[in-house]
Amino acid sequence: MSHLLSFVQWLNDTPISVYLRESDWPFPIIETIHILGLGFSVGTIMWLDLRLLGLAMREAPVVDVMEQLEPWAIGGFAVMFASGLLLILSEPLKCYNTVAFRIKVVLLILAALNVLYFHKRVMHDVDEWDRNMPWRAKMVGVLSLILWLGVVIAGRWTAYF
Amino acid sequence: MTFGRILPAWFFSLCENSWLGGWFKHAQWFFAIDETFHIMALGMLIGTLVIVDLRLLGLGMRRQSVAQLAGFLGPWTLLGIATMIVTGVPLFMSEAVKLSRSMPFFYKMVFLVCAVTLHFTLHRKAIASSTMKCSGLGRLAACLSLLCWLGVALAGRAIAFL
Repeated sequence: MSHLLSFVQWLNDTPISVYLRESDWPFPIIETIHILGLGFSVGTIMWLDLRLLGLAMREAPVVDVMEQLEPWAIGGFAVMFASGLLLILSEPLKCYNTVAFRIKVVLLILAALNVLYFHKRVMHDVDEWDRNMPWRAKMVGVLSLILWLGVVIAGRWTAYF
Repeated sequence: MTFGRILPAWFFSLCENSWLGGWFKHAQWFFAIDETFHIMALGMLIGTLVIVDLRLLGLGMRRQSVAQLAGFLGPWTLLGIATMIVTGVPLFMSEAVKLSRSMPFFYKMVFLVCAVTLHFTLHRKAIASSTMKCSGLGRLAACLSLLCWLGVALAGRAIAFL
């Protein structure tokens, strides 16, 4: 763990980190992009999850929802990832010391594993899913909703503890 | 321009000193939880708008018709708007005096009124008269909608900085 702390300390002292921390505009702009990106990332993926659970857009084939939303979700998450990294870079030590942020990172990793699991183990014969939704797909949907919700909540509470 | 220039000062003091305003001002947990729901609703709301407005622009879920998508997602959009307003009121009341002097807050409300009005008028009309192809009306409604909600979000964010 002390290796991680030394790395974080080193990161904290780099010129770019100091610049992001002490400048007037870059941090607010990056943070705003991160918050607005929420709509394109979690905001789109949640509709796929709700479709998997049969709670929204039931008349649209699952394949349609998946294939058409995926590019936008990917783009959205790419923006979140890039802006998120920059935000960490602006305050590495503070992030390291914040419990809520550590929880957020754990939840992020779990959410990513959930996506991987979905693509590698669950996504077979998707055309059949309109007739019969496999329980694994529903499970992935529920987990995804809970995990991303957790990420958003932990992200907001990073400001508090 | 701020609300303090339009409404009397006693209105804002009244809000801040009311039981709701006072409660949220002093109970950090309630404020945090309320704000969390505000942000969750934001994510959901933008999600529904993105899908429908992108479709009006001929992007995203092109295999479905605009009417279909709006039919599915419309109630969720309304739920999102309602949740944001309901969670937004206590947030306002707990800091009413400060917000009366806030220029971003004023513009946030202007954008919000425009966005909601647009949603129930032009946007609705564009959806009702839509076909599988894009129309000029649809594109206009989508662009205005996205701009207004972007305005709400940006102005809302700016409150903390200006």
